[in-house]
Amino acid sequence: MNEVLSNKLNPQVLPHLEIWAWEVPIYLFLGGLAGGLLVITGGMLLLQKGGLFGKKSEARDPFTGMIQIGSVLSPVLLGLGMFFLFLDLENKFHVWRFYTAFVWTSPMSWGSWMLIIFFPLATLQALIVNERWLEGFSLVNRIIQPSKKHLNLIAMINVHMGAGIGVYTGILLSTFYARPIWSSSILGFVFLMSGLSSAAALVMLMAPRREKLMFSKMDMYFISLEGFATTLFIIGGITGSENVRDAMYFLISGPYAPWFWVVFVMGGMIVPLMLETLEAIGRIRFTVLVPLLVLTGSLTLRFIIVYAGQAFPTFA
Amino acid sequence: MARKRKYAMIIDTKRCVGCSACVYACKSENNVPEGFCRDWIVQRIEGDYPKLTMLNRSERCQHCENAPCVSNCPTTASHYGGDGTVQIEPDLCTGCKACIAACPYDARYIHPEGYADKCSFCQHRLKQGLKPACVTVCPTKTLHLVDLNSNDGEAEKLMRGREVVQDKVHAGTMPKLFWLM
Repeated sequence: MNEVLSNKLNPQVLPHLEIWAWEVPIYLFLGGLAGGLLVITGGMLLLQKGGLFGKKSEARDPFTGMIQIGSVLSPVLLGLGMFFLFLDLENKFHVWRFYTAFVWTSPMSWGSWMLIIFFPLATLQALIVNERWLEGFSLVNRIIQPSKKHLNLIAMINVHMGAGIGVYTGILLSTFYARPIWSSSILGFVFLMSGLSSAAALVMLMAPRREKLMFSKMDMYFISLEGFATTLFIIGGITGSENVRDAMYFLISGPYAPWFWVVFVMGGMIVPLMLETLEAIGRIRFTVLVPLLVLTGSLTLRFIIVYAGQAFPTFA
Repeated sequence: MARKRKYAMIIDTKRCVGCSACVYACKSENNVPEGFCRDWIVQRIEGDYPKLTMLNRSERCQHCENAPCVSNCPTTASHYGGDGTVQIEPDLCTGCKACIAACPYDARYIHPEGYADKCSFCQHRLKQGLKPACVTVCPTKTLHLVDLNSNDGEAEKLMRGREVVQDKVHAGTMPKLFWLM
């Protein structure tokens, strides 16, 4: 017999002792989406004619609708994500305390300060590419005109900042070695790729028919890398120490397994990748099912990682 | 310059009867709200009848020397107290719960007033030269607050000849609760 009794209270008995509930996975999803959108739109700006890596000595192409919408959505979605993060704070009046310190060992501190750079630059890009809609606003134009000629630099910084936010959403969890499911440094790469894939899916959903294929092909690339990263995440877990291995088996064969395999792996990666391949070779026409599956898979990934990470016993 | 203290707790499991007086004393001393606890008892029964062994362990924050709650706190609300303890400044705490996720010992909870809370070794009492409430109330003298930097030999005397166990040392946290088996 081996019986352990404890009057320590735990979240399995009392839900109010849970660390993070639904707000945090939604923030991680929207953060990844916003970062992905910034990478994609910033990248498109750099690659178009007149962009840093585009054809030189030619006038810049007019901004496509997707660059315009994507650039606006990025800071808007991040703002929405931040709102959910704010909802999760237990002392909402102290939110400003994040900006009275910089703790270099705390990823959450890095994230808070990164947002200070992300927001103005992402908003600036959104304003510049939507200049023609803002002609009537003289104050806004006073910001747009001097910064317009630095668009390449802004886009360049934004691509990196977007990738940084995407990675950050995973690193935020992976530094908590007390929660063995989260304690994998490849989680940052998994979340980055998932964020890029969901951003491509969102743009694909909104893009005019003639542009959809381009984003579909882009998404194929991101999903492939996401699959690669997820495989490494699983291998890293099951070849790890006893604690990490048990945690990984809990994730892939425990109560969250149906969500992990069916909704995330099959629904969020394998099926969309197959459908996108058929689209690319012209076998089927574009279907809204693909972006919806990708977005659902991406959101589900955040939920199962955050929930399973807390449900598995603490570092042993 | 005054000598820097390094408080730790030595817990004699052979003396502990699992009465939970430490838990109630703590709740009363620190106004711990209902549904939460800063310290708790773990009782482990092993073996087959009639050869059974019972171990009672009073547990709380380990006041780690390399505390992940401190390194993960984005606002420095969780900090080293300078006397070997880990303390929380509620005024700086946003309630982001990074420290709760970071703690390998699950020693923390969110106080209904919106800040992370845990055992402080009764710092307010230490400042008055008193022992923590749990230590004072323990009827079997199981709990001992010691200063590892002092030369009084108290810690050595308690540990001499005894098997000393620490929790999750391999986490690299350098915990400061010592259980005597």
